[in-house]
Amino acid sequence: MRRNKITRILALGLGIALSLTACGGQSQTETKAPEAAETTTAGGTQAAETTKTAETNGAAPAAEYKDTMNIAATAQPPTLDSMTSSSNIADGIAMHIFEGLYMMDNTYTPQPILAESCDISEDGLVYTFKLREGVKFHNGKEMTAEDVVASMNRWLQTSAKAKAILGTSVFEAVDTYTVTMTVEHAASDILILLAAPSQFAAISPKEVVDAAGPEGLQEFIGTGPYKLQEWKQDQYIHLVKNSDYQSPEGETSGFAGKREASTENIYFRFVSDDATRIAGIQTGEYDAAEDIPLERYDEVAAMPGVKLHTKTGGTLTLFINTSQGIMVNQDLRLAVLAALNMEEIMYGSYGNPNLYILDPGYMNVNQEQWAVKGGEEYYNQGNAEKAKELLAKAGYNGEKIRLVTTPDYQEMYNATLVVQEQLRQAGFNAEVETYDFPVFMEHRSDPAQFDIYITSNSYQLLPSQLSVVNPGWAGLDVKEVNEGVDAIRFAASNEEAKENWNNLQAFLYEYGAASVLGHFSGVTATSQKMENFEFFHYPVYWNAKVAK
Amino acid sequence: MFSYIIKRIVSLIPTLLVVSVAVFLITYLMPGGPATAMLGMEATKEELDALNEALGFNRPFLVQYFEWLGKMLKGDWGESLFLQQSVLSAIGQYFLPTLSLALLAELFALVFAIPFGILAAYKRGTTVDLALVTSTLFGIAVPGFLLGMFFMLFFGVKLQWLPVAGYVPLKDGLWNHLRYLILPALSLSTVQAALITRMTRSAVIDVLYLNYIRTARSKGLKERTVLLVHALKNAAPSVLTVVGQSFGTLITGAIVTETLFNIPGIGLLTINAINRRDIYVIQGVVLFVTLLYVGVNLTVDILYGIVDPRIQLGKK
Repeated sequence: MRRNKITRILALGLGIALSLTACGGQSQTETKAPEAAETTTAGGTQAAETTKTAETNGAAPAAEYKDTMNIAATAQPPTLDSMTSSSNIADGIAMHIFEGLYMMDNTYTPQPILAESCDISEDGLVYTFKLREGVKFHNGKEMTAEDVVASMNRWLQTSAKAKAILGTSVFEAVDTYTVTMTVEHAASDILILLAAPSQFAAISPKEVVDAAGPEGLQEFIGTGPYKLQEWKQDQYIHLVKNSDYQSPEGETSGFAGKREASTENIYFRFVSDDATRIAGIQTGEYDAAEDIPLERYDEVAAMPGVKLHTKTGGTLTLFINTSQGIMVNQDLRLAVLAALNMEEIMYGSYGNPNLYILDPGYMNVNQEQWAVKGGEEYYNQGNAEKAKELLAKAGYNGEKIRLVTTPDYQEMYNATLVVQEQLRQAGFNAEVETYDFPVFMEHRSDPAQFDIYITSNSYQLLPSQLSVVNPGWAGLDVKEVNEGVDAIRFAASNEEAKENWNNLQAFLYEYGAASVLGHFSGVTATSQKMENFEFFHYPVYWNAKVAK
Repeated sequence: MFSYIIKRIVSLIPTLLVVSVAVFLITYLMPGGPATAMLGMEATKEELDALNEALGFNRPFLVQYFEWLGKMLKGDWGESLFLQQSVLSAIGQYFLPTLSLALLAELFALVFAIPFGILAAYKRGTTVDLALVTSTLFGIAVPGFLLGMFFMLFFGVKLQWLPVAGYVPLKDGLWNHLRYLILPALSLSTVQAALITRMTRSAVIDVLYLNYIRTARSKGLKERTVLLVHALKNAAPSVLTVVGQSFGTLITGAIVTETLFNIPGIGLLTINAINRRDIYVIQGVVLFVTLLYVGVNLTVDILYGIVDPRIQLGKK
């Protein structure tokens, strides 16, 4: 009897042991583990740690900073050649390696970086850039006019945004340190275009530009505060401080002003799983974790030692096919707009009302020049009855409306499902077609293959750069849009430009071409010990340092 | 034996050809191309068309296939569109983490599965057996990624004994290398341990009631000798099969676990190549995995002959 009891107890113990096979294996490592945690917290990195002492003025105790910063990025960028890719991750990392002639400060005003100054001819057609002297590329060569001309002319041809607006312009060298840009029409936004952070105009050495093929630059050599040390595919991009770096002057602001390269090594590690990024920032494995999923905002905010940085980053926008299929009927499009309740859509997409705002504008709500309300009467109507009337007027007969989406972008997918439900309530036969990202892109770019789609688009600096006015985006190719863009670009004053943009935005709503659903925020988490981090458009790490 | 191995290798050729056509066809027909992945969200149709033209992806299927096949036969598996290296060198690089992970996971699995399997067989019908069999059901039923997340939270975040994710190559020190692999290896090994335990149990039970075991016992041999020398050795071929299969599964990459723990192995390479439509890498990885699977099976076949001399490969 007793023996039987012992057997049972043993059996139970064994059962638990086997069901936690894994935990059993763990015991082998337990004794050594605490040391390991130390090392992990110290950076989780392969690089040897050395101690640095911060410069302090006077008696304050000297803080010690890590010489390696680990950043968990969401994905590996397709390239670091910013001109060929519109990937935000590519631009965000590339900005640490490359610089442009002009870049934005945090009020979105272009400031000279590699240029010293810019003179504009009276007719507004010739821009003469004086380059800073003595700026060296990472390969030791001095940057001169020929490098700038080669890079900028490539930018005009490669970057879709530059090509569409400045395609006929040309850069020429005047002397070693002077470059001119000749444009076809005078416009007030040329410098802003040059300084735009998306597909930004990065300066590389001429020979690197000449060697670039259709798939982009083969080498990533810039003038920036960091140089590319190693790109370990699917693992990390390792940047090291550029010891020959010559920083532009001025107070640090956005992408402009003084750049310190405060930390010796930066590792951008590619961590696609949200849970892993969050676990890593919590344990100190990473010093920063980008793109914190908004539904976990409150949870991460409550974690000790972690600081969250939030920035409104762009718009979630619904595009309607105006060129092919059933939606060419304007009343149908207006019925869609009538049916939409943005509050529900944004809540469904982002799950936290503090992290989105409702505003009909396509542009950054904080950018005074372009924040307009044109077409607001069409925004956030949530009026199913009106939608039904418009459907009846359009003679709608229950034809299928295809909402194309991809679960690879959760917010786009969630928004599409809410929109589908709202459209159904209004009497549409709305069907969601779900694809993985590349297939979604294929459908999105072909007007024969979609009726409606939703994308999250980063803020642009100029209305002319918005996807909604780009005929290649959702096939909207009407003269009012082209004329509207020209009216903005060639306006006599900023006020007039703003008024013209207001009119164009109103037209986009009246025509039923698209609708902003809301403005979303990007969230980056950093260690509380990180100093001088700036979240402007992209996370900026060149002045950041992490106390030990 | 030698001629058998040669025959098996020769028979690989049609298998690989069929696989290559199938994979090429699938990647060719798969909508969304590498240009989309390269150019990003806001690329226009014109940009996409131009890049596809430049990369040669708008040519007919047969032209692309035979060009690729011709190069393959010369040992050129093509260049990755994203990794800036050849497909072969990418596979070589990504295979090492997977191999380490697979070996460690298999080791964890065997350390528990074989003793528990034998014990369950020996104690057949008792509470011990019941407890072990129930535990294996648990091991099979709980998905590896769920266990992985649990381990990450418990051992990585809460106790902070081990890093939550990442990978350090062996050259940076054995312990440094292993400590990044322990949690993913544990989460992968659980299901394998459960499977191997069950298979060991039933294989040992099959032989335990045969006459020669009775003879061995009646000779007065110790139970340990009967079990480990006589029973286990004869149960070995069946156990070997399931161990081979489990190793085959592990070594060809664990997509979810590698993604979760950020281990740059074959699984991560596969999923990234598919997401990026890195066509030559997809083809290369599938062929490589096919070769590995066939290789593991062939090795197991050869081992049959070694552990059980009654099995004579290649003889009728």
